[in-house]
Amino acid sequence: MAALSLLSLLLILLLPLCLLFLLSLIVRPRPVKIPINDRHVFVTGGSSGIGLAIAHRAASEGARVSILARSQAKLDEAKQAIQLATGVDVATFSADVRDFDALRRATEEAGPVDVLVVNHGVYLPGELATQELDEVRFMIDVNLIGSFNMIKAFLPAMKARTDRRPASVVLMSSQAGQVGIYGYTAYCASKFGLRGLAEALQQEIIADDIHVSLVLPPDTDTPGLAEENKRRPPLSSIIAATSTAMKADQVAEKTLNGIKSGSFIVPCNSVGYLIAFATAGLSPQRSYIMASVEVVCAGISRLAGLFILWSWYSSIEKWYAQRKK
Amino acid sequence: MAALSLLSLLLILLLPLCLLLVLYLIVRPRPVKIPIKDRHVFVTGGSSGIGLAIAHRAASEGARVSILARSQAKLDEAKQAIQLATGVDVATFSADVRDFDALRRATEEAGPVDVLVVNHGVYLPKELATQELDEVRFMIDVNLIGSFNMIKAFLPAMKARTDRRPASVVLMSSQAGQVGIYGYTAYCASKFGLRGLAEALQQEIIADDIHVSLVFPSYTDTPGLVEENKRRPPLTRVITGSSGAMKADEVAEKALNGIKSGSFIVPCNFEGYLLAIVTAGLSPQRSYVMAFVEVVSASILRLTALFFQWNWYSSIEKWHAQSKQ
Repeated sequence: MAALSLLSLLLILLLPLCLLFLLSLIVRPRPVKIPINDRHVFVTGGSSGIGLAIAHRAASEGARVSILARSQAKLDEAKQAIQLATGVDVATFSADVRDFDALRRATEEAGPVDVLVVNHGVYLPGELATQELDEVRFMIDVNLIGSFNMIKAFLPAMKARTDRRPASVVLMSSQAGQVGIYGYTAYCASKFGLRGLAEALQQEIIADDIHVSLVLPPDTDTPGLAEENKRRPPLSSIIAATSTAMKADQVAEKTLNGIKSGSFIVPCNSVGYLIAFATAGLSPQRSYIMASVEVVCAGISRLAGLFILWSWYSSIEKWYAQRKK
Repeated sequence: MAALSLLSLLLILLLPLCLLLVLYLIVRPRPVKIPIKDRHVFVTGGSSGIGLAIAHRAASEGARVSILARSQAKLDEAKQAIQLATGVDVATFSADVRDFDALRRATEEAGPVDVLVVNHGVYLPKELATQELDEVRFMIDVNLIGSFNMIKAFLPAMKARTDRRPASVVLMSSQAGQVGIYGYTAYCASKFGLRGLAEALQQEIIADDIHVSLVFPSYTDTPGLVEENKRRPPLTRVITGSSGAMKADEVAEKALNGIKSGSFIVPCNFEGYLLAIVTAGLSPQRSYVMAFVEVVSASILRLTALFFQWNWYSSIEKWHAQSKQ
């Protein structure tokens, strides 16, 4: 009997060790370290919010930073703010990401980029039934097609780069890019789309030692969020409250850490990790430790997800029942 | 000792039963049956391929069917084919899904729809580095924005319908909407986007007893596939493997079954089921039995997914190594 217990104990210890060992052998793409210091980091939507925080952090870590946004005025403010805080001079580029020719001019002016942070985004919440199609098209054009434009414009120089250290393409997604949320049909569509782009793109550019990262923040304290909050449907707030809001600088920190470790999926808070486990799907995982955690937690994460859905749909039911009275 | 073994045996039996019971209580939205017979089924991209097969099947199951496509000639052919085979007369609507005004006219002419099958889609495979942005925009405009247009045009009448039986909005996705694949950045982006739309939309329209289904076929034997095959990158072929294509009618059968059971995720073959489970994420699951399978097999399937990544990235590595020689 003691022998049986000892055997089962050995198995309980051995199984996870075997799993860890197996995963350390098979995780692809292989782990990579992507330095930021002395590299050229280019950030779209870099004049405010998360983009500005990323630009700021990258500058203070010794990167050469460029920021792109539509408004020259906001770019100048951002440039000044970073100058005052870090002494670093960032280059500014004024362009709309929907304008491919403007982006091509920017890439010629900016020179080769090592870390492309496609961070820009717009979000206009509203139930699809009442939302104007112009707003839907706006979000998809800017968030999704704008990201394709950026990558098309900047990828050639990245592929042809003389600095053969690993490079990075970073896409700013959202927790709304992992799970659909009431009032965000178009935003979710654009952010889910980024993941499809990212998963396919990584297979296409791995041979050029370029590594794709998808960052998945929750609500983040930014000017953008303040605007969005004014028009968020009440039910969206109830549902989005599942995840706590973060500061832009915290998201920037997680982003840079994710970039430097070449992580494909970069969650930003604990709920983010839970959702990442549940939605791991067929995303690549370079860390054999994270891979082991994903495998072990997959089932319980799906169960947690089903509980979250139970909570959401119950809230929706309750809301509509109250409205009817 | 016998008592201990008996206790462990009881636990091994009890745990799954408890899980089944918990899931039975919490699965949301609740299970639903959506009849097809005597309902109005509207199919976009209904003049060929999967759309035509769906229209055909729905007609033979007693539905009143309308099909929409760009080419009047193809619509007439399709109408004739269905007439000959089933004796049923389908209504035809010629429009481009990117033209919202044309869709609005179609919805006025067509009358209220019970089952909206947003099936149309275009796919032009190519590595993003060499693909024209026009093709990228084409796929996203047609597949994603075109689907938004369809839903915006047809949803008001669905919400206001007098026939208060459950209604359905069906989005034709693809296995390329569950996993990113080399050569399909824009196609994957558009199909992943449909899932973001679907997950959010279901929360918004559940109160109207309208149920969203996402269908995930693999390669299907259609005129569209023949065209796509001509330009599929070799590495894409290596990764997607030599698994044969499904028949359009098989996909149509799975689609209709999924619609009738109000399933959110509708896989079309066995590997599709495995993909659906591993990418379950935070998608709703109305069947407590399927939910159980998802929770229980999540871990082993994530492990399998990691093996697939190993296989794919090894193939990509090998391919590029050979190309260099």
